Amino acid sequence: MDYSRPALADRLGAEYVAGTLRGPARRRFEALLAAHPALRASVRDWQDRLMPLSASLAPVAPPPRVWQRIETRIGFRPAAAPRWWAQLAVWRALAGVATAATLALALVVATPPPAQAPIVVVLSATTAPAGGVTPASFVASISADGRAMVTRPLTEVSVQPDRALELWAVPPSGAPRSLGLISASGATVVRQGKVLKDTAALAVSLEPPTGSPTGLPTGPVLYVGKLSS
Amino acid sequence: MATVPSDWSERSKELSVLLARSGLGDRQAFARLYERSSAHLFAVVLRINRDRAQAEDVLQEVYVNVWRAAKSFDAAQSQPLTWLTSIARNRAIDSLRRRQAEPQTQPANLNDDEDRNVYDDVPDDNAPTPLEMLGRASDARALARCMDGLTPPQRQSVALAFYDGLSHAEVAEHMREPLGTVKSWVRRALLALKACLDGAVARERSAGSP
Repeated sequence: MDYSRPALADRLGAEYVAGTLRGPARRRFEALLAAHPALRASVRDWQDRLMPLSASLAPVAPPPRVWQRIETRIGFRPAAAPRWWAQLAVWRALAGVATAATLALALVVATPPPAQAPIVVVLSATTAPAGGVTPASFVASISADGRAMVTRPLTEVSVQPDRALELWAVPPSGAPRSLGLISASGATVVRQGKVLKDTAALAVSLEPPTGSPTGLPTGPVLYVGKLSS
Repeated sequence: MATVPSDWSERSKELSVLLARSGLGDRQAFARLYERSSAHLFAVVLRINRDRAQAEDVLQEVYVNVWRAAKSFDAAQSQPLTWLTSIARNRAIDSLRRRQAEPQTQPANLNDDEDRNVYDDVPDDNAPTPLEMLGRASDARALARCMDGLTPPQRQSVALAFYDGLSHAEVAEHMREPLGTVKSWVRRALLALKACLDGAVARERSAGSP
C-alpha cells in the first residue's frame, strides 16, 4: 500500500486516533509510523482535532501509590529498605571476623613451632561500642609452656585517656586473676608465669589508668576469648 | 467540574514548561507535571479500562514513558496535553488487548448478555454517558458546532469509540446495529468533523489576518 497517499494516510490516522483501529492492524500501523512521515502528520492532525474531546472527562485523582511506583521505576527513590544481608554494616562485621580469623591463622602458620605450638586465643568484643571504646578483637598468643604471652589488638582500639585495658585470666570457677595492663595500640608481652594453669578464658576489661584498684575487674568486660583445651 | 476545551490551550502552556524541564532531567518539574496532569490522564485511562488496578498500572507506564520521552517532546509540533493524552489513550487501548476477544469472529458474543453488560446503557458508577460528555466537551469553540453537525448515530458511535475505547465491533454490539453500518457512521463522522474543524481553523485565520 502507498501510505503517502493522502486519503489513505488520513483514514488510517483517523481510525488510529479515534481508537477504532485495533488488534494486529493497530500494531502494524504503529510500526509503519516511524517510516512514513505522511502517517505521522495525519496522526498529529487527528490528535489535535480529537484530544480536546477528553477535556470533558471529570478528573479522577489516582491513589498516591501510583506516584510512588513511578518514582521507584525512574529511580527517584530507592526500591525498598535493603534487607539485612544487603546492609553494609553486616558485611563489614563479617569482614572483620574474617580478618581476625585470617590473622589468627597467620599467627599459627607463621610462627615457627618451637618445642610445642603456642596457643592462640582470639578475644572478641562482647558488646556494641561502650565506654568510648570501638569494638575490635585481640589476639593473645601464649607459649606452649604458658610462661609468656603476647597480646595484640587486631584493629586499632581507641581508649579514653583516663582509661586502660586490663587483661584477666578467668578460671572455670572463682575470681579472675589480673595479668596486668595491656596496650590498646600495639603488642604487649605479658610475663606472669603459669598463664595457662587453671585458666578457662581470657578477658579484657576497661579500668582506671593504673589498673583495677580492687584486684577484680571494675569496668565493663570488653573482650573475651576461651582457651580451648 | 469538567474542563472545557477552551482551557485546553491554557493548561497546555503551563505543562509545556514543565515538560521541557522534565526533558532536561528536572525531577521537581516532573513531579509537578504529574500533579497537574495525572487526574486528567487517569480519567482518560479509567474510562477505557475500567479495571482500577489495571488502570493504575497503565498510568504508571504512561508517566515512566513520559519521563523517558520528555526530551523528544516538540512544543512546536504538538500541545503537551494532547501529547500526554495521546500516550495515555494508546496505552489504555493496548491494555484492552486481552479483553478484545475479536468479537467480529465470534458472533456468539452478540447474544452474550453478560458481555454486553459491560457496556450497558445504565452506567455502573454514575459516569456520564459518552453522549453527555460529548455535549460537555462541545460547550466551547468550534468542536461544539462541528459536533452539532453530526447525525445522532454518528455522534454516538464516535463518542463510544473515543471515550470508551470501543472497537467498531463493540460499538456495533452496543448500538445493536450491523458492523458495516457502524463503520460507515464512524468514518463519515470523522470526515465531517475534519472538514468542519479545518474549515473553522481556516475561517479563524482569515478573520485574524487583515
